[in-house]
Amino acid sequence: MGRKVLRVIHRDRCIGCFSCMYACSRTFAGMATTNRAALRVRAYTGVEGAFSLRTCLRCPEPDCAAACPSGALKKVEGGGVRLDKERCLSCGACVQACVIRALQWNADDRRPIPCVHCGTCARYCPNGVLALEEEA
Amino acid sequence: MQETILHIDLTTGTARRERRPELFDRFLGGTTLGTELLWQYAPPEVDPLGEQSALIFVTGPFSSVFPVATKTVALFKSPLNGELGETHAGGRLAMALRDAAIDALVITGKSPSPTFLSIENHEVTFSSARTVWGQSALASERILREYAAPDGRKGSVVRIGPAGERLAPLACATVDGGRHFGRLGLGAVMGSKNLKAFLVSGTGGPPIIHRGEHRQVYDAIYDRVVASNDMKKYHDLGTAGNILPLNAIGGLPTRNFSQGFFEGAQALSGEAFAEHYLVQHMACAHCPCGCIHMAALREPFAPFHYRTTKIPYDYELIYALGTLLSLSSPPEVLSLVDVVEKEGWDAMGMGTALAWASEAFVSGVVGLRETEGLPLRFGDGGGYLQAMHRIRKGEGEFFRDLERGVAFCAAKYGGEAFAIHFGGVGAPGYLTGENALLTYLMGVRHSHLDDPGYGTDQKLLGKSLSLEEQVGAAVKDAQWRMVTNSLVTCLFARGVYDEEMVLAGLGALGLSWDGEKLKRMGEEALRRKYAYKIACGADPRRGKIPEKIFSGTTATGPVDRGRMELRRELYARMVGLPEEV
Repeated sequence: MGRKVLRVIHRDRCIGCFSCMYACSRTFAGMATTNRAALRVRAYTGVEGAFSLRTCLRCPEPDCAAACPSGALKKVEGGGVRLDKERCLSCGACVQACVIRALQWNADDRRPIPCVHCGTCARYCPNGVLALEEEA
Repeated sequence: MQETILHIDLTTGTARRERRPELFDRFLGGTTLGTELLWQYAPPEVDPLGEQSALIFVTGPFSSVFPVATKTVALFKSPLNGELGETHAGGRLAMALRDAAIDALVITGKSPSPTFLSIENHEVTFSSARTVWGQSALASERILREYAAPDGRKGSVVRIGPAGERLAPLACATVDGGRHFGRLGLGAVMGSKNLKAFLVSGTGGPPIIHRGEHRQVYDAIYDRVVASNDMKKYHDLGTAGNILPLNAIGGLPTRNFSQGFFEGAQALSGEAFAEHYLVQHMACAHCPCGCIHMAALREPFAPFHYRTTKIPYDYELIYALGTLLSLSSPPEVLSLVDVVEKEGWDAMGMGTALAWASEAFVSGVVGLRETEGLPLRFGDGGGYLQAMHRIRKGEGEFFRDLERGVAFCAAKYGGEAFAIHFGGVGAPGYLTGENALLTYLMGVRHSHLDDPGYGTDQKLLGKSLSLEEQVGAAVKDAQWRMVTNSLVTCLFARGVYDEEMVLAGLGALGLSWDGEKLKRMGEEALRRKYAYKIACGADPRRGKIPEKIFSGTTATGPVDRGRMELRRELYARMVGLPEEV
């Protein structure tokens, strides 16, 4: 059985309710906010708006980990990253290195928020935009 | 635990934070707490557009914490009718305020020149809005969101359009995409303070203390919102789905409340909009329902060249800028909505003013002299568009007056009999019967959302209830809405947030309330609002019902004067208004 990976399967069905980000922050940080989520729904301005979802791709060769100068953000066998908080220098190089802007930043403790691909966000998506799928 | 009030003084360009946990303990938040702040910071004697007036924005204990608790309550003294100004808006404002740990925001004073505020956490930056002044409500958001958050952050942008800058009593404030502090003229109060906009963002968020209990209640609410029928209609067709059912019972106000049946209803129905114009649903932050319906209007501007505009629609817009004006073409209605959105008007206020103007024109109360050559005729969408542009540009006294609302215009030009306003506020769109009219007359906001009146009327089509039962249901629900409007949940989720769910939610947050205590708070909150209104000289017992209402009919039959008076007396007694002097 392959590993699970979070995927955006119906971006165009997103209504911008942010329930996914609320679910992630609530579950992992115990906070009622979108600010601690390991994914981002980017909303483009105004009533003309549309939404773009940025989720961790569980890259086999993650740019974020490669950019980490202290080895705090480590590549995991089979893809994705894990953070060793003690070693993090709070430099933000990892977030800058993620071109799709999926890796999120905790502005208070100044560390990245790597996604663990648990699928909690998908559970709270009312329109099936997100799904936790078997990796091929 | 909520406790923080952020005070911003525009006169001095300063901000200060105040901790008042005891206020939140006693009044929860939202409308109940906001009313107390209103009494304190914008007392009844204040000039609504004067430097001493205040704008108060309050969230509640459920904001950001539970689904569909998306609203921020605004309180102010209304420049439209000179009494209690209250309006609620969704969007991302409640989320942003909670992220910033601001539980209430009180804005006072007047900036010496056009200003916008950037509020990030508790830091407030005052910036010149000279280059944004004059920009539409839509352009202002595009500009300010990019200026403040080039990295695509998801804070909230509250701003006025040109109508607010002109201090038009029909001016609203627009929140993010297509949400509004719509009624009673909050936009003019912002304009009077030289406040073009305020932006809110924060990096934190409320902690969840009792995570297990919270999750249990959260999931129960979430599943009811998403999977049950409680909110399905708001997501599917949206409130526009009301057009056909209301038309079928004769409750759809048509041509300035001349009748409750519109022959063009089919074309304006939620079904027709969905089939031909709907392109996207959108949601307020933390609402998995997503009731915001966006239409696309594709219009040629040159051979083989098209512009496409996305325009929000809902029942109220279709009523106010459609059936009320006898327009049955969705593109015409959407074109009017687009001007209203850009200018930053209250759509219902503008629709009722134009409907009065049309009847005034048809009946000879005003003529081409007043309208400076522009006929105003029911069914003439092009004429209404021209009229809106004249209002926008301030061309002619009559058009300048229209953005002061139907009550002002009727008092100045005549046609009081067909000026369809209650307490100075252009009427909401339900001609269902005496219960709805009682809501408009007695409701603290003169809004169809003050109590379930229009729903009670529709129930009467199937069963009979005594007057006491009808009015009692209205008052009881009006009091309960004080509770949910303090939490602050969206009224579209009123089926989900019943007493049991509210108590479970409060319990999960560790707040000790019981049903009796909530009930008492609701009753007292309502009385505090009526006391404010009465102190402003607006005793609801003396408000007038437009004469025209008595000459027509409603979904539940003609309106009886004596019975309406009886209803009003019952309402006043059940609410517990002080004896009249």
